[in-house]
Amino acid sequence: MSDTLSFLIEPARAFLVHVGQMLPRVLIAIAVVVVGWMVAKIVRFATLKGLRAVNFHVLTQRAGMDGFLHDGGVRADTTEILALLLYWLVVLAALVMGFNLLDLSYITDLLMRVVLFVPKVLVAVLILAFGAYFARFVDNAITVYCRNAHIQDAELLGRVARYAIVTFVVLIALDQMNIGGDIVRETFLIIVAGIVFALALAFGLGGKDWAAEFLERWWPRRRR
Amino acid sequence: MTDLSTAPVAEAVERPPLWYKDVVIYQLHIKAFFDSNNDGIGDFKGLAQKLDYIQDLGVNAVWLLPFYPSPLKDDGYDVSDYHNVHPQYGTRADFRAFVREAHRRGLKVITELVVNHTSDAHPWFQAARRAPPGSRKRNWYVWSDNEQKYRGTRIIFTDTEASNWAWDPVAKQYYWHRFFSHQPDLNFDNPSVLKAVFRVMRFWLDIGVDAFRLDAIPYLCEREGTNNENLPETHAVLKKIRALIDANYEGRMLLAEANQWPEDVREYFGDGDECHMAFHFPLMPRMYMAIAQEDRFPVTEIMQQTPDIPELCQWAIFLRNHDELTLEMVTSKERDYMYRMYAADLQARINLGIRRRLAPLMENDPARIRLLQSLLFSMSGSPVLYYGDEIGMGDNIYLGDRNGVRTPMQWSPDRNAGFSRADPQRLYLPPIMDPIYGFESVNVEAQARNPNSQLNWMKRMLATRKSSQAFGRGRLEFLRPGNRKILAYLREYGNDVILCVANLARSAQPVELDLKRFKGRVPVEMFGRTVFPPVGDLPYMLTLPAHGFYWFRLATDAAPPDWHAEALVSEDTPMMVLFDGWLSFFSDQVVPWRIGMAEKLKAQLEGEVLPRYIAAQRWYAAKGEPVRRAVLKDSVIWDVGGLSWLLALAEVNDCPYFLPFALGWEEDEDHVRALAAGTVARVRQQANVGVLAEAVMDEGFCRHVVKAIGAGRTLPTAKGKLVFTPTAAFGAIAGDDVAGLNLGRVQAQTTNTSITLGERLFLKFYRRVRPGVNPELEIGRYLTEQAGYKNCVPVAGAVEYSSDQKEPATLALLQAYVPNQGDGWSYTLDYLERYMESRRSITDPLKEEPPPREVHGAYLALAQTLAVRTAELHRAFAAGLTAPFRPEPLTAEDVAAWKARVAKEAEETLALVERRQPEKTELAGRRRQLLQRIERCAAPAGPAMKIRHHGDYHLGQVLLASNDFLIIDFEGEPSRPLAESRRKHSPLRDVAGMLRSFNYAKWSALMRLAQADPAFDRLHASMNAWEAVVRAAFLDSYAQASAGAGLFASFDDVRGLLSLFEIEKVLYELRYELDNRPTWVHIPLQGLAALLEEKP
Repeated sequence: MSDTLSFLIEPARAFLVHVGQMLPRVLIAIAVVVVGWMVAKIVRFATLKGLRAVNFHVLTQRAGMDGFLHDGGVRADTTEILALLLYWLVVLAALVMGFNLLDLSYITDLLMRVVLFVPKVLVAVLILAFGAYFARFVDNAITVYCRNAHIQDAELLGRVARYAIVTFVVLIALDQMNIGGDIVRETFLIIVAGIVFALALAFGLGGKDWAAEFLERWWPRRRR
Repeated sequence: MTDLSTAPVAEAVERPPLWYKDVVIYQLHIKAFFDSNNDGIGDFKGLAQKLDYIQDLGVNAVWLLPFYPSPLKDDGYDVSDYHNVHPQYGTRADFRAFVREAHRRGLKVITELVVNHTSDAHPWFQAARRAPPGSRKRNWYVWSDNEQKYRGTRIIFTDTEASNWAWDPVAKQYYWHRFFSHQPDLNFDNPSVLKAVFRVMRFWLDIGVDAFRLDAIPYLCEREGTNNENLPETHAVLKKIRALIDANYEGRMLLAEANQWPEDVREYFGDGDECHMAFHFPLMPRMYMAIAQEDRFPVTEIMQQTPDIPELCQWAIFLRNHDELTLEMVTSKERDYMYRMYAADLQARINLGIRRRLAPLMENDPARIRLLQSLLFSMSGSPVLYYGDEIGMGDNIYLGDRNGVRTPMQWSPDRNAGFSRADPQRLYLPPIMDPIYGFESVNVEAQARNPNSQLNWMKRMLATRKSSQAFGRGRLEFLRPGNRKILAYLREYGNDVILCVANLARSAQPVELDLKRFKGRVPVEMFGRTVFPPVGDLPYMLTLPAHGFYWFRLATDAAPPDWHAEALVSEDTPMMVLFDGWLSFFSDQVVPWRIGMAEKLKAQLEGEVLPRYIAAQRWYAAKGEPVRRAVLKDSVIWDVGGLSWLLALAEVNDCPYFLPFALGWEEDEDHVRALAAGTVARVRQQANVGVLAEAVMDEGFCRHVVKAIGAGRTLPTAKGKLVFTPTAAFGAIAGDDVAGLNLGRVQAQTTNTSITLGERLFLKFYRRVRPGVNPELEIGRYLTEQAGYKNCVPVAGAVEYSSDQKEPATLALLQAYVPNQGDGWSYTLDYLERYMESRRSITDPLKEEPPPREVHGAYLALAQTLAVRTAELHRAFAAGLTAPFRPEPLTAEDVAAWKARVAKEAEETLALVERRQPEKTELAGRRRQLLQRIERCAAPAGPAMKIRHHGDYHLGQVLLASNDFLIIDFEGEPSRPLAESRRKHSPLRDVAGMLRSFNYAKWSALMRLAQADPAFDRLHASMNAWEAVVRAAFLDSYAQASAGAGLFASFDDVRGLLSLFEIEKVLYELRYELDNRPTWVHIPLQGLAALLEEKP
């Protein structure tokens, strides 16, 4: 009877012992996650306020990123996205610690990868923000300079420079996030080659007569 | 009242030692001026009778040619008794009486001291010729046994004398004479002679003579081997003469006649220890020459050669005198030219000169005569005016010697020119009788009656000259404009700068003057008191009519003309460096690394640029208080159609003001020029240069404001919102082509800036933000939409600002533009000035003025119209049906409360007067009388109404348009809160305000025109008569037009109330003047005194 009973109870006991052993760790894990969540909220708030205080939002607005996001239906501006990324970084870090406490190494590994990726995204966003602002700045500078120097198509030249820089910046940002790798590099080479080829063609076709004239001057054909 | 009279002028002459610096001398012959005993020769009694005329002319000294007993072989310069008066001219008692009378009128008396020589009939000479040679008596004169002595001496009267020596058969010796042979020279090497001269001087100085003209002063002493002119010995004698005066008398003066070059004449001032004054002989012919040659060179050249004289000395300058126009002080070439130009008739030449008067020399051309006089009165020195030249008298060159310019003064077209009633044959000389200059056409009586005559012009000229000491005492500096036909010079005395510009040519001339040194000063034309545009960076351009001239006071205290728009941005406007357009001022809207720059820029704007700009603006209310900071409290960047403005509310010394700004960039020059008048700062953003200016000057901005009102837009700001609202009348007033309306004149006023748009719209920006219902908007709406009152300006819309905490405040009001002839105030002032100008110049006692009702008929008609419009306005208010306008009955408590308030204000005002101007004691003594007067103001017996009213009603609040009036500006008194202006009150407050305005107009006109005018008392009386009839006309018409409207039972019933409100208004004015214009305090003080006199 007692055996039967013990047979019956033993697993339950073992379970309870296990639970008894697990419970504090779970509670600590939950506490860690909760604290992490709260810290995350604080971090988000502080980031938001801090970035706004240094007018980071003005920078991204001027860089055209906020407008870009807005056009894409995103309500938040870049500053908020950065704050959100930091929020999730902290939350994820808390989760990693929580799951680590529970010895759930597989989940921990998985989360760890995500956690390591978020900073890259953060940096990429910053690169994009400053890069885009720099692109606008160069655009303005070139446009104003060309206009003062009475060069035609000042705006076009400025625009070309700006998009060239934006392209570079986007590639750098993508590279930063390890997205695309070779494909991106190759695409870039193709684009550059394409542009050079297009220019060569344009000059070639447009300057045919001019080139002919020079050739004629250097190696004149025999006159009749 | 006394401080408006002629006090400053009298003072200038009275101030003991320096009266001769500011003096204008009137030179005359006793014999030629007026004959009182009808013996054909003028006399002292006659002169005394004409002293009023001389005083009225505006001169302050009389210079008498010799009047001593004399054989009259040289017009009295051959004196035979130094201590007496020629019996023809009267007695010593007559002379004493004349001096007394002259002094009573503030006129100085200058007589001749002819001591170089005597008449050969003088007892001294008679004694000398009989005394043995070498004796004491003989030595009073200069004798010689032969004519060879002093051979190097020139002969002055070349036409009559062959030698400076004349043989005396009694003395059996030659005697020395520099002038006529009957005028032996006294021997100043003999101490007895000097002693005798001292006795003569003391004799006349003791009688009261203020100055001596020292005749022929360079020739006193003789020395062998010299030319016997300007000898050191002569100067030694002069120093002794001066020492005698300085030791025994005060405020006396010596005037040297030395017809010499300036450097020689300079010696006669010594180190300030010889003569006080000396004639500037060389200048005179050169003024004529400059006009003949139409070139300024002769004048500028001689003034350049004129040495500086001691501080206390003064030049005497003249155009003509009793002698010929002497050409001794010109080169022989110049003399030939002058003869050809001015004395083609050989008969006009005498000795080395021309014996003509001013008018014939100028061929009776008024423009040239006046031009020359203007030069005389504005050159450095005290001018001498020869009798008769003030009326343009002519001459008679056939009378022999210089008698042609010494003919009787032409008083009237009567017998002998009104000079004497003697038989024409008995006159000492015949009067001028030719058709041009004869006494029938040129005389005082006729000219006194003609406001535009030479005489009245001269009076105005002299009155103007008196208004500044710079003419007498200032430094002279010639300007050198490119056009050589223009003579332009500055007279500077301390901060008082006068610019004189004269066109020497017979055709109109333009000129560009370099006045950079006086940048920012405002030229005020001195005769018409017209304000010219201020001096800027560019050469100052003027155009002058043929032989025209201007006198400008370069004022630091005058405002530029209100129509003047600054076309160039001044260089000392501060510079601000922007980096991001409007956003550069907002540190929360720039990229991170520019936050510091933005903060600095805003600090510059708030702490430096705006305070500097605002302090200079008319609309800045707290004038006395310096602007410390102007903090941007709320703002919005308003972008419309590619244009962008910053609409800001700035707190200036804790008081909110509305400031819309615009940016104008150099590429758009027209835009920058349009903004120039409202430029706050110059700005640069990278390579772009431009201006930051008030947007009210910006056409685009004003149009967009109108459009936004029409569209009823709302514009959120950082802390509130701007609401644009149209009224029902918007469509009818603004039309639908607002974009095509041109920006008209921008007018800065005390509380607002107003702009006209295309003769259709009138946009008014209130500067001070005052929360609450704006009565102007409220009343404007009521009168246009409900009452249908025609004589106000319809309202089309408004811009209001509201923030969370406070009631909305009106920032701008859009009204219809009504073509008009300016406001009632300027019209009235112009009218009164014109009237006074005409009254002032007419001094003919025979011509009595018609009764004021007739004289002011046209103005009275206007005043009556104004009264009717006022009554109609009150009727419109009395018909109000809605709560803010519904009339209320006037109760006894109301009257009691008003009385209590006025009494309280009276106490406060008296306390303020005592604090600010303790010397005004007369009012403090009447405190009880004032309070009793307030108490005596009777409350109406019958029913009366309290209604909405204008609240700040005066002549400046009505516009004159085709002989009718439009009533504007329903804001109430700017210093009282808005809620108070909305309170209902008796309409009589408006009436009282208008009555006070008439009084103010009277005083302003008097102060502008008649201050320092000898005719002040007369003008004052005329102006009082004007005020009385206008008051009566206004009140009568108002009483008639308001009868039956239920405002009051009868007008007589409320007269007590009217007096109460007049007292209230006067007290308000008194406080206002004490705070703002202390020199005007006498106007309300005088008004208060008049009210106290009035019977209740």
